[in-house]
Formats: sequence, structure tokens, C-alpha cells
Amino acid sequence: MKTAVVLLLALLAQAGGNVCLSAGMREMGAASQLGGPAMVSLLLRGLANPTIWLGMGLLGVFFGLYAATLSWADLSVVLPATALGYVINVACGAYVLHEAVPPARWAGVLLIGLGICCVSWSVRRPALPGRTIGDPCRPR
Amino acid sequence: MQTALMLAILILCGALGDVSLAKGMKQVGALPTLRLRALLVLGRKMVRNGAVRLSLLFMIADFLTFLVVLSWADVSFIVPATSLHFVLATLGAKWMLQEHISRVRWFGTILVGLGVALLALP
Repeated sequence: MKTAVVLLLALLAQAGGNVCLSAGMREMGAASQLGGPAMVSLLLRGLANPTIWLGMGLLGVFFGLYAATLSWADLSVVLPATALGYVINVACGAYVLHEAVPPARWAGVLLIGLGICCVSWSVRRPALPGRTIGDPCRPR
Repeated sequence: MQTALMLAILILCGALGDVSLAKGMKQVGALPTLRLRALLVLGRKMVRNGAVRLSLLFMIADFLTFLVVLSWADVSFIVPATSLHFVLATLGAKWMLQEHISRVRWFGTILVGLGVALLALP
């Protein structure tokens, strides 16, 4: 339960961070060219943009929470669960931004959901001698 | 050929970054509470941990490679290809972190990888 709550907070922070970075980049306008001086100018304008800082802060929160989750749960459980972030993005696109989502993308959402269910089920199912129900990691 | 090589580097760096971070965090120890003091102590231990620092290097390399590949290949091709990252990192968890991965967990991981690949198709 603790893993699910912290991961959900991490994914929300990641989604918020991506939205802020995207909004910040749009506020700055598109780079006219990809030369050195243009990139330096873009970087300096980015550092002066509070939305970009907010986005980077939220992505930092994501990294911290993701790392904290890995301190007590198996990588083979946490990593597939992070794919829920893709589902959040598609759902936001469909229901908040009213974007058209093709059937193949909904099929992808379904597969990710099924995959996460399988991984969660494997955590609850004791498969090793000496392991107790609900213990995601090796016996310590 | 150039794209395939960069994609391989991208997937490898992402997987190694996750495996190194998981290894480092297991060495650092589990976070007891979500209080500020505990978070600061954990953060200090993370900064001093070699595996966590290595994971940051891999993640930076992963991000920079992603940007480079984006400059010559379509994102609708890159993202499905990088969904292999889920399978590779799980292999790393099995071999490098000695995690027990049941058939159900493998099946779930492969479903997630396929789902991510489908999401990115045009």
C-alpha cells in the first residue's frame, strides 16, 4: 500500500513536471535555429522562467519519490508500475484536453493496465520459501 | 545502423540507470518515514553512494542520447523501441540484483512493454 501511494504521488509529480516544462518552453517560443548562440540564449531564457523551475522541481520530486520507493521495493515491481504515467497522460489527453485517442492507443492503455495487475498480483503471491504474503522483496 | 546503435545505447543507459539506482537505494536503506529530517538524511546518504551517483550519470547519458536520436528519427519510432527498456531492466534486476521474478511478473512486464509500444504508434 505504501509503495502504491508513494508511486502514485511520484507519477503525479512527473506528469505535473512535464506539463510545466512544456508550458514553459511554449512561453519562451520556438528556437529559431539550433546553433550554439541560439541554444545558449534559449538556456538562459529557460533559467529565468519560473514555470521551467517549477517543472524541474516537480521532476526532482518524482526522482526522490521513485528512489525512495526503490529503497524498499523490488525494481522488477516498481519499474512496470511507473508505466501508469503513460495511462495518466492518455487519460488527461482524452478527458481534459479532449484530444482524439485512436483505438490502438486505448489497446495500449489496456495492456499496460493488465501488465500492472499481473505484476501487483506477483507481489502478493508468495513464490519463494520463507517469503510471506505481501512481502515484495527477498527475505532480509 | 547509426540509429540502431544509438537506440541500443539509449535503452542500455536507461536500464543500467534504473538497476544502479535500485542497487544504491538498497545500500542506502529503506526510508523509515516521510518526515523532512528523514528525507534530508536519506538525501545525504544518496549523494554519498557510488551506485546512486553512477545511476545519475547513466540517466544523464540516457537523456542526452534521447535528444540526439530525436534529432534524426521520429518519436513514433523511438518510444516503441525504447519500451524494450522495461524488459532489459527486469533482466538486470534478475541478474545484477538477484531479484526473484516469477512467470506472472515476467508476463506483466512484457504486457507493459507492448502497451507502451502501442501507445506511441501513430
